[in-house]
Amino acid sequence: MRFEASVLLLMLACSKTPEPTPVVRATSTPVNAIPGHESLREDTTHKEGPRLMVAETYMRSYLAIFGGLSPLDSQAALVGAGATRDNNLFDRWADYLAALGMPDYKSDIDRSAQTNALMVAAFERTGIALCDRAVENDLRGSRPVDQRIVFAFEGGPEVASDTAFATRFDIVHRTFLGYPAELAPTTNRTSKFYNLYKQAKANQTAPDAGRFRLTADEAAWAAVCYALIRHPEFHFY
Amino acid sequence: MKPRFDAFVVGMFLALAISAPSDAARSLQDYRYFRSLSIDMQGRVPTRTELTDFERTDFDVDNWVESKLSTSGYEDRIRRIYLDPLRPALSTIFPFVTSVVLRRHSIQVEGGTTANVYWRNGQRRKRDSTDGIFCLGEADTGLKFPRTGNPTGTAKPVTKAILDQYTVKVKPWWLYRDYASSAPKDLYSATTWATKYPNFAPHPALLTEADGSATTEIRVCKEEAQTAESGTIYKSGRTTTTTPADRIVPLAGDTNFAITNVGKPIYCASDTAVTNSADCGCGVGLERCSPGANNGFDPSGFVLPTKAPLGVTLPVDVGSTAQSEWTRFWWSQEVYEFIARLAREDRDFREILTSPSTVINGPLAQFYKSYQGSTCCGQGASFGYSEPQSLFDRANVPTDLLPHDTTTWKVVSDRGPNAAGILTMPIFLAKYGSRRARAHAIYGTFLCRQFVAESVELTPSTEPDLTKRPGCSTCHATLEPMSAYFARVRESDWTFLPKENFPVLETKRCNRSTPASDCRSYYDPAFTSDAGAMLLGAYASQTNADLGPRGFAEATVADPAFAECIVSTVASSFLGRIMVTDDATRLSTWKTALTSGGFRMRALIREILKSDAYRNANNLNSTLWRKEEGP
Repeated sequence: MRFEASVLLLMLACSKTPEPTPVVRATSTPVNAIPGHESLREDTTHKEGPRLMVAETYMRSYLAIFGGLSPLDSQAALVGAGATRDNNLFDRWADYLAALGMPDYKSDIDRSAQTNALMVAAFERTGIALCDRAVENDLRGSRPVDQRIVFAFEGGPEVASDTAFATRFDIVHRTFLGYPAELAPTTNRTSKFYNLYKQAKANQTAPDAGRFRLTADEAAWAAVCYALIRHPEFHFY
Repeated sequence: MKPRFDAFVVGMFLALAISAPSDAARSLQDYRYFRSLSIDMQGRVPTRTELTDFERTDFDVDNWVESKLSTSGYEDRIRRIYLDPLRPALSTIFPFVTSVVLRRHSIQVEGGTTANVYWRNGQRRKRDSTDGIFCLGEADTGLKFPRTGNPTGTAKPVTKAILDQYTVKVKPWWLYRDYASSAPKDLYSATTWATKYPNFAPHPALLTEADGSATTEIRVCKEEAQTAESGTIYKSGRTTTTTPADRIVPLAGDTNFAITNVGKPIYCASDTAVTNSADCGCGVGLERCSPGANNGFDPSGFVLPTKAPLGVTLPVDVGSTAQSEWTRFWWSQEVYEFIARLAREDRDFREILTSPSTVINGPLAQFYKSYQGSTCCGQGASFGYSEPQSLFDRANVPTDLLPHDTTTWKVVSDRGPNAAGILTMPIFLAKYGSRRARAHAIYGTFLCRQFVAESVELTPSTEPDLTKRPGCSTCHATLEPMSAYFARVRESDWTFLPKENFPVLETKRCNRSTPASDCRSYYDPAFTSDAGAMLLGAYASQTNADLGPRGFAEATVADPAFAECIVSTVASSFLGRIMVTDDATRLSTWKTALTSGGFRMRALIREILKSDAYRNANNLNSTLWRKEEGP
């Protein structure tokens, strides 16, 4: 047994070394050397996701849009009083701070630099409150444009045509996203929002629609507002 | 590639010569850039009016940025960059509960009334039944009084004569603006003071008597009501500690300090004075004491903003707080105002660590004048240290700031020879309680370095020198000499230990052959030999221990990594991402902008805001980039 193993080892040692398998290496090629890419410009800039607006900036922006009230005054206005009081619409700013990503220096809790499910829910909750109260403030009665906070256009909530919607939508779009709607990077933003407006209005006038304190037209504008204040372009920059 | 916005501006000027260009000429990138600038320089998105201004043909972005560099929005922006890593705020986990706290008992008085009587723990009195505790004893009230909490026993009404014998009425600082006058008249009013002195609001219980009437003066134990700046050291003659039948708190015997120094004068604003002198009180209008609305350990004191992420003038929540929060709250604000001043006046940013100056308001002036000595001097008295030598010399505290001046901030150009930027502010020293924590906080925040342990197995060791102990030395060889800079500042405290009383190497009392019992509070037994005892925390560098925090500040700002760290930290905040190797060139350019101007932050911010890296920081993807035909 030991002899056989030795012979086998000797045979292996004396056998011819096999040819190595050739290694195919990919060579580096500039992108414009690839056929069909000669005119394609190369983006070498550092790529990062957009910056998330910090919680303080979100609050300041929110308060500025809501008419420049202090946090406690805005809280009172958002909760409402008398017949418009609605504790389900807004709680207290203090309840939202952590969810919005605010740091707590006392407890050594860092700010949240990225969104999470709770933060998005807080954006939604606070955003809806602002929009609903803005609708009530701006679109009821005949409040002058300069006293309106979000819907700073002439007239009430009713919209007669897509052109009329576009003019009004542009004002709201600029309020939240900071540029004219016609420059939006996504195509047909205005018409998409008009569809949203019409759909929200239709939902509100459907026979099985639940009770809502806003009229169908008001609810439609509120829906447009919800979409803008929760838009990624609002929270990121 | 030249940014499109610049090209647009140039084109706009050319076009102006012929006709006014239309507003539509602004591109999406232009709007986004302006929105970014607004977010960073104003702390909010632009308003519709600001957008309209931006769309005007004569709008100059550079001028707009320049105008914003002197606004509170810019101060907030710069401040946030350094507040986030330093987190200068403290919860009740750091209880500032010292001999400044006035607690109170509700006492039945003959005639069926109830009187609130204020007192402070440790106050020396010449009656054995009340020495160190409440000034009315069991014989007076039927009750035995603990240091905190409710008394025990069966209450009996105190006679008016006894009450007047041991207590007096005072118009204190928290009720009267003019408390220092002979006949104070300017009484606290919730409605008018809220406007005149925002965030100055005593707890409601401090404003109401037991019968529901408004408080216009308070009753306080006679010893506490004394107003002298200095007293004399008192000796009771008791040699041992006992607990007489009419007390539940033991009655202490005289300390060696009292026996040795009896009759000598002592400065009253220290804990040593409170516990060693029967004639040191709370000062004029009780300004050396902090009121509490009950007899708890840390009783309610003031109503304050409990959450104020947008600043103390815009709180989101206001509530009753413990008396200690009054002090902690304003400690935090000192750092806020100090950094804001650096930004507002575009001062040399190295001052954040090195400056002998600070900015204080009324409550902070009160702390530095009357409260800061209340943690001094403990067993230091045995080393001849009974009058605090402070990091902030009380002689330099402005005399015209009253505790109610919450919104009046004054620059103190020189706090004293031991002051150094934020390093010697109470909030920093309390937040980072240990010498090592203090050094680490600065090392990470201002040199952008971290301690990362090497991958070695820790083996049992008796080596007390962590700069040598295997496995520990990787970090501690650097950390220990840095922490030595704080050897002369007590841990979790701001009490300074002067060389005269506490030499780095002590050879008289604490060497091994004849150790005094109080040596361990100041000297390290692990580094004690017959030759002498080493001051706690000083073993790794006796030189650094004597240089103190100011030496640490100078060493830190002289480190080449300091400027690089500032640039990297600020750029990272504005670009919303960490800096990578691709950023080396721009970081170098920005570092030059910062350092060539004498570490002025505005020069750095201008460069960052004008850079392509900032303009395109929200360049989401290549598809969008190509569509907009520009980076």
